[in-house]
Amino acid sequence: MLPWIYGFNWNAGHIIFLGAFYMVLAALVATVASAAIRSRRALRMDQAEAIRWHSDFESMPACDQVCRHVLTGEFQSRQCPHAFDCRECETHAKLIQCHPLPRVEEPEEDVFGMAFPLDRFYHRGHTWARLEKDGTVLVGLDELGARLLGRPDALVLPKPGDRVHANGAAFHARRRDAEVRVVSPVDGEVVETGSAERGWYLRVKPTSNDAKTFRHLLRGAEIKPWIQREMERLQLALTAEGAAPALADGGVPVSDIAAAYPAADWDAVCGEMFLEG
Amino acid sequence: MSANKRYGMSIDIDKCNGCGACMMACAVENNIPPAPEAANDRRGVTWIRVYKVDNHLAYPERRTAFVPVLCQQCGHDTPCVHVCPQQAVDVDPETGIVGQMPERCLGCRYCMVACPYHARYFNWWDPKWPAGMEKTLNPDVAPRMRGVVEKCNFCHGRWHAAQQKAAAAGQREIDAADYVPACVEACPTGALRFGDLSDSSTEVAQDAQRPESFRLLEKIGTEPKIHYRSRRDWVREIASAPRPEGKDGLRG
Amino acid sequence: MASVDKEFITRGLRRSSTGRFLLWILPWVALLVFGLYSAGLCLVKGLNQTNMDNRFAFGLWIFLDLTVIALGAGAFFTGFLLYILKIDELRSVINSAVVIGLVCYSGAVTVLAVDVGQPLRSWFTFWYPNVHSMLTEVTFCISCYLTVLLIEYLPIVLRNRKLHDVPSFLVFEHELHKLIYVLAGVGTFLSFFHQGSLGGLYGVLRGRPFAFREGLAVWPSTFFLFILSAAAVGPSFILLTTWLVEKLSRKRLVRPTVFRRLARISGLLLAVYVLAKAVDTLVWINRTSPGTGFQAWQYYSWKPFGTWILFAEIVVFGLLPALVMLTPRLRAHTGWLVTAAAMACCGVALNRFVMTVQTLALPTLSFDPYLSYYPSWQEVGTFLAVVAYGVLVYSFSFRYFNLFPEERELRLEAAAQEEEELALAGRY
Repeated sequence: MLPWIYGFNWNAGHIIFLGAFYMVLAALVATVASAAIRSRRALRMDQAEAIRWHSDFESMPACDQVCRHVLTGEFQSRQCPHAFDCRECETHAKLIQCHPLPRVEEPEEDVFGMAFPLDRFYHRGHTWARLEKDGTVLVGLDELGARLLGRPDALVLPKPGDRVHANGAAFHARRRDAEVRVVSPVDGEVVETGSAERGWYLRVKPTSNDAKTFRHLLRGAEIKPWIQREMERLQLALTAEGAAPALADGGVPVSDIAAAYPAADWDAVCGEMFLEG
Repeated sequence: MSANKRYGMSIDIDKCNGCGACMMACAVENNIPPAPEAANDRRGVTWIRVYKVDNHLAYPERRTAFVPVLCQQCGHDTPCVHVCPQQAVDVDPETGIVGQMPERCLGCRYCMVACPYHARYFNWWDPKWPAGMEKTLNPDVAPRMRGVVEKCNFCHGRWHAAQQKAAAAGQREIDAADYVPACVEACPTGALRFGDLSDSSTEVAQDAQRPESFRLLEKIGTEPKIHYRSRRDWVREIASAPRPEGKDGLRG
Repeated sequence: MASVDKEFITRGLRRSSTGRFLLWILPWVALLVFGLYSAGLCLVKGLNQTNMDNRFAFGLWIFLDLTVIALGAGAFFTGFLLYILKIDELRSVINSAVVIGLVCYSGAVTVLAVDVGQPLRSWFTFWYPNVHSMLTEVTFCISCYLTVLLIEYLPIVLRNRKLHDVPSFLVFEHELHKLIYVLAGVGTFLSFFHQGSLGGLYGVLRGRPFAFREGLAVWPSTFFLFILSAAAVGPSFILLTTWLVEKLSRKRLVRPTVFRRLARISGLLLAVYVLAKAVDTLVWINRTSPGTGFQAWQYYSWKPFGTWILFAEIVVFGLLPALVMLTPRLRAHTGWLVTAAAMACCGVALNRFVMTVQTLALPTLSFDPYLSYYPSWQEVGTFLAVVAYGVLVYSFSFRYFNLFPEERELRLEAAAQEEEELALAGRY
């Protein structure tokens, strides 16, 4: 094993054999150690939330990872390579330059009886962000998200002063057996917390406030096709998770969907809809 | 330094009457514990074992012979040495004796699988001597524990004693008469002889050269240092590979 | 769905209720306890509890260890195909393959620890290694590879829903998974050598002409044959276990294309193996064995191991399943696939049996008897402990970890199909 131990010989057989062994050991130790060091660094640099989002995104079925430009019909099919973070996407940048979104005249979009005001930006995890006059951003659940959770049984909101990250957890809610982390649409510092009754959950002071801040969020004409697709996904999830009556085509979802499908595995349905793996 | 030796043995099968004195003497010399009740001929320990062989013919042509088999001290490609994972088996370059270190043995028994002569024995039980019998133990030989392999080492204790005697007398070479394994010493018919094969003047070396001399399974190329001999043709046949029952005609 | 442990189960996967799971676990736990008692007897009272003896120095345990390690080769080979050759389809079985590999290897190592006379001296092999011994190579590679498997298992464990909530676990899992290529590479290197040296274990036995083979440099031909057969049967065993888990859990876990891909790989390698084995057998019959003074025909005249065993090993359990798995028409039927995979696994088991048991049963000296050996209940019990342990580890892994990443997607797809059918039924 070692040169000073009985039976060790400085011959080719020994050197090759033990050399290979020590190299394997070194490779294993190096692998685990570098993973440990890198994870320590990632934790220090506060990347845990980003990693969680990437992990959630990767565990989503390929058909759910579809690009926003497929929703609007600009692409036949395209899988998002950036985990829904269009701020880094060159394709998106080019597309919005060449084909600006058509203007929508109404102040809000009505899809299946749900109201989606167009004065705000929507995250695909069913939260919205609205830039206030004072430069803060309000974060809330969109109508479909609100109907999925109904009146949450428990709500864990961050404290003022805490940081939230775009695509990271904004807050946690529990409804029936579903534990849901609701994604934050923006980066920033929480300045105030709201509630379901007030219609918003967090008031956030955004880290930046330029054109790119909301680029990854859906808006205007994108909302309708997106929600239509979301309703299809919801119906699929409900069927898969054992909800007895399926939503009728074009029907209006009830205001508290959770209560309407007591047989469904609500945790799985919410996981699907709130993009949590 | 004196030239390296190549200790070996010659066994005259025609002289062996199967009395088993060699086995007895070996067990006493090497502190082999009495076999427990549950032991059988496949689980006991005996460094030298006398097999009974016959010519496979019916009476009155039937003839039998006795073949003492001990570690054959293979001199080339020693099967047990290169399989041992932890160097518990080695060949002493000075004596050519294949040594077994039970203190280092893991008990994996790979060496037993490798040995074509079945000369290696595993300690299936804890060694136990009946009360009082431990007084007869040979102080020159360490008893072995359960779970390790052991085998004939040409009475290593005696070799060691002979070396010490020579050293005390200020000699480098041991006196050949001082180093005789217990089995050789005990054989009442003188069928067993022991000595240095590399010295052509020894009886053993001359025995090995006789035309009726043979070694077991010579063709597998292990160069054993136990030379058997017999003037009977059918006995010499035992050196070759086995033939299944019912094919007796092939035995010549 | 009244599971008290629901929060530990991967979101969106359906698992049986806690009660039913306990009911399934119970007999295996009982078997494990019995097996541990048997193994304990062997450790405390010694190997006299087994039916092995000085002549049958290896028995049931070594035979089954060799088999189990060959079957566990699916872990390294799937990893190699997925991470090094980038056959992305196999991602859906890699986690299951890692668990199976881990179970096989840790089980085999445990049995080996009981099998040696002085388990506490196991470290001697590392401290005073005899680098010329195949067993040294096996010991080093298997213990290293077991470490690799444990590290590969770690991300699977850390992805458990509860554990994933802990930020440091989440981040470590993420970082470790990025380096999985290194582990797959090291695992492939190690597996290559220990699968080979397990074969070499017998091939080098000059004193056992039935097992002795010539070869390349220091490696006898069995070295390469064992690598090839293990690589061939690994995917088959993954196929077989996946199918079994699908049946037992009544779920679809992977796409049929994955089954077919596994079968094609397995069939191809098995065909190459059968060819190599046939050539090797011919060389051995005509050259190697006569060279040592042993006529090969005589090995097969000791009943019950006649030439039928050679025929069964190479043709019935080798060539036949290889042909089935290589025929697209037959491959399309799961029944054929599973049968062929099972036969391939049996073939490798038979090969390991022949190498271990027949080698030792055959006489080497002309005055040797032909030997028989039956394992004692303690030996069987100890092995059953490993089987029970394997089933338990796999069951817990299947329940709490996401072993088949496509399971949820497949269920959603099935739901979509169901909806479509309903819609069609409503329209007409």
